[in-house]
Amino acid sequence: MERFVFFGGKGGVGKTTMSSAYGRKCARAGLETLVVSTDPAHSTADVFDQAFDDEPQPVEGIEGLSVMEIDPDEEVQRHLMETKRALGDQVSPAMVNEIDRQIEMAHQTPGAYEAALFDRFVDVMRDADPYDRIVFDTSPTGGTLRLLSLPEFLEGWIDRLLHKRKKSVKLYERAAIGNQEPRRMMDGDPIIARLQERKETFEFAKRTLRDEAAFFLVVNPDELSIKESRRTVDSLTDHGLTVRGLAVNKLTPEPDDDENGRGARYLRDRVATERERLEELRETFDPPVVAEVETRVREVKGSLLAEVADELDVGV
Amino acid sequence: MNLAERIAHFRRVAEEWLRGLYHGMVSHPAYEKIEHEAEDQEDTFMLACFPEAFGIPSPVSYYTAELLPYLEDEFEAWERRMWNRGSLLERKGEQYHF
Repeated sequence: MERFVFFGGKGGVGKTTMSSAYGRKCARAGLETLVVSTDPAHSTADVFDQAFDDEPQPVEGIEGLSVMEIDPDEEVQRHLMETKRALGDQVSPAMVNEIDRQIEMAHQTPGAYEAALFDRFVDVMRDADPYDRIVFDTSPTGGTLRLLSLPEFLEGWIDRLLHKRKKSVKLYERAAIGNQEPRRMMDGDPIIARLQERKETFEFAKRTLRDEAAFFLVVNPDELSIKESRRTVDSLTDHGLTVRGLAVNKLTPEPDDDENGRGARYLRDRVATERERLEELRETFDPPVVAEVETRVREVKGSLLAEVADELDVGV
Repeated sequence: MNLAERIAHFRRVAEEWLRGLYHGMVSHPAYEKIEHEAEDQEDTFMLACFPEAFGIPSPVSYYTAELLPYLEDEFEAWERRMWNRGSLLERKGEQYHF
């Protein structure tokens, strides 16, 4: 199995449950495991009944399992402060205000949140050394998809910027008369260096996602969830990432044969519909169904997590 | 002053004038042209980096913002050029010396 495992899917299908259960399974199998929650509405804390933050923290009672919750807002703030510090060091006081406004504005654009999340993602993957397995509990489909398609998109963009910058610097070098120093020089140009650095980050992310990551989709046996999953599978494939399997969650349990009350009839009908949906999932989807997990009466926590982990037929 | 000195003096003056003339009519406009082109390139670079200055959202403005501290001169010059520029024709027209 790959080192990085992603669980994705529509909101509320049980991604956190699945990724926590899988994390637990890996830890039990003797792998040093880290579960990373990237959903802004963190719920890993509820599953393990323990508070987590931006730093990996060991889970009490489970050997070899750590959890971290990424907070993009914090990352945006950190990035803002760092940029401002560089501004103070570099820029003359007269220009600071002008540029400061630009920087503030850039940190409030909608893309900032995603970019920050992406940066943290890459950081986690870069500093993966202490762990044998890292399980990402991603935010609902839309956000994650955009996140995973970012590297390729951003790489193209940075390439363009790099190209333009190099061109103008080259022209400046040519425009310098005689021994006069050109206005900008290729060597030691901080802009080119920074853009290059960014480009390398994106390349690393792209490579890692393609070669060292496995994706699983969590699906509920209902129309909406299935439709959305189909779209997700398609667009992930478009980005060159293949979905390894579907984990079906929240299946309705079948009543005993001798039961015939209203509740039992309801359950039987429900089970019949879900069986059709399961059939549909098996036949019309390329990725195989790797887990069928029944719905639980109570929230999945503690010992229930172990049961769910057993039903999860995903290799460690 | 003898004849030889006078000729040498004349040649020095003529050389200086010729060099100045060449610089003013040929090389300087050429360098200026290149520099203008460089500025134009820089403008498109700046525009691609900070389109939100014109209200266009950029997907990478979060990343390009970290370049700003190193772009002080460029930023100032860019803003000035953006204000001064009446039309593209005017800008391109500037490059011709008559």
